[in-house]
Amino acid sequence: MTEIKQVRLSGFGGQGVVLAGLLLGQAGVFDGKYISGSNSYGAQARGSGCKSEIVFSDGPVDFPHLTIADILIAMSRGAYDNYCTDVRTESGLILYDQGFVTPKDNLKVKHLGIPANEVSVKRLKNKQVSNIVFLGALIEATRIVSAGAIRKAISMHVSERFRSLNLKALQAGMELGREFNG
Amino acid sequence: MPFRWVKSPFPKGTYYFSGNEAAAEGAIAAGCRFYAGYPITPSSELMERIAVRLKEVGGVFIQMEDEIASISATIGASWAGAKAMTATSGPGFSLMQESIGYAAFTETPCVIVDVQRAGPCTGQATKVGSGDIMQAKWGSHGDYQVIALSPWSSQEMYDLTLRAFNLSEQYRVPAMVMADEAVGHLRETIRVAPRVEVWDRKKKKGGAPFDIEGEDGVPPMAAFGEGERLSVTGSTHDAYGFRKTDDPEVHARLVGRINQKILNHKRSIIETEDYLLEDAEVALIAYGFTARTSLYAVKRLRKEGQKIGMLRLKTLWPFSDERVAEVGKKVKRIMVPEMNLGQVAGEVKRCVVCDVISLSQTNGEVIGPELLIETLKKI
Repeated sequence: MTEIKQVRLSGFGGQGVVLAGLLLGQAGVFDGKYISGSNSYGAQARGSGCKSEIVFSDGPVDFPHLTIADILIAMSRGAYDNYCTDVRTESGLILYDQGFVTPKDNLKVKHLGIPANEVSVKRLKNKQVSNIVFLGALIEATRIVSAGAIRKAISMHVSERFRSLNLKALQAGMELGREFNG
Repeated sequence: MPFRWVKSPFPKGTYYFSGNEAAAEGAIAAGCRFYAGYPITPSSELMERIAVRLKEVGGVFIQMEDEIASISATIGASWAGAKAMTATSGPGFSLMQESIGYAAFTETPCVIVDVQRAGPCTGQATKVGSGDIMQAKWGSHGDYQVIALSPWSSQEMYDLTLRAFNLSEQYRVPAMVMADEAVGHLRETIRVAPRVEVWDRKKKKGGAPFDIEGEDGVPPMAAFGEGERLSVTGSTHDAYGFRKTDDPEVHARLVGRINQKILNHKRSIIETEDYLLEDAEVALIAYGFTARTSLYAVKRLRKEGQKIGMLRLKTLWPFSDERVAEVGKKVKRIMVPEMNLGQVAGEVKRCVVCDVISLSQTNGEVIGPELLIETLKKI
């Protein structure tokens, strides 16, 4: 039986949702998975609600778009409100930004609050890297891809100027995710 | 032999490419060394990537003033000896139609990738559709043939763009890759093999470039600058390219040959794939992104005990009349889901006597599994 995991990253355009999706998918490819990824496109990806969806599979993927999320990353309140009910009950997981989202208590889905924006702004002194903080927390909490693969993906797709900042953000995220696992 | 195995110009391995990027790599692998185009959503990433890659492999890239100029430059480059291509979406594809007829009549190898969006007209630029299928076949006036392929994944954007070049060179015909927005923007794991099979147009010193007795109906093609006397015209012409605009025999022979050289080779041009059709009572006939939804639906409904299968059309033109007719004899019903108002469903109806149901969606969204499964449960 082919195992499939579906991940939806969401936020508003400009938060780096599409880049985070690209890195996550690329890391999956490095780990030898079959990946199908699709993004918001055009005007959506620039300011309003934005999402990136990645299907991870051990074998060829039939329908390549997301049908139900096993994991949701909600980087904004709007993203959480829009997509929180599309997560698989019981086994699903929602990672949300503590600074923006008040989680609903009637959902039968595990929640993990991440102070991604706060860490990004206060600790890393750059508000643009909360997407990578989320990726760090995600891989530490779920092991969906290996840390080595995501580092390699960052080296491949992030320009040299921002590479060390992004690797630091990844590390900070992994520490946050570790607390959840521990 | 006109075909050869060459080392892939892109290192063998596994990559994470969007369909549009993969198509650019497929073109380079086929030997494409000229691209002329005008950027248009949702095809632009192909142009962006090939602009960089052509520079790396010593090819030529030109951004033209519009799509008419783009296809014209592509045809010119082909006659200068380069493997040449352009890419566009619906509005640009419309502008190219006159010159596609010219390319077909002058037997110019060239590749056009159409990443289809929701039309008609400028429609919804960022949204998906597959409304250009009939236009690919009938867009220019007069009787001619083209070859049109339909990729359903990033991998096939690579494989079928490469194949489009090979077919185009082999048969001296415009070959089209009829992608759609969903496949063009889909980013997937793709595998690049260490070696690829590449066809080159045949050449023969002093050979007439516009007629040939017997054989495969495809004359040799010299390039300007190779020392041959060449005259290329969109008017009716004899074996050496001289205009013969009031000779009924020459016209009938030329029009006959440019059609027959494709139709006589349908069996090697057409590719289809069967999925769970052996005992099927209902068959889906699908292509492009919609075939992905269809395969998902077929597998789901099989689990619930429905005898259902799928025929996937990898080649749209020339049309798979024979295979569709065979499927039509075995099943009770055929459903054709597509992101247009039944363009391929009409072709299917022409080939079969069983019931054909057209499932159309033209709202700029892909046909999702739920709609397809629900509709299939009702029939």
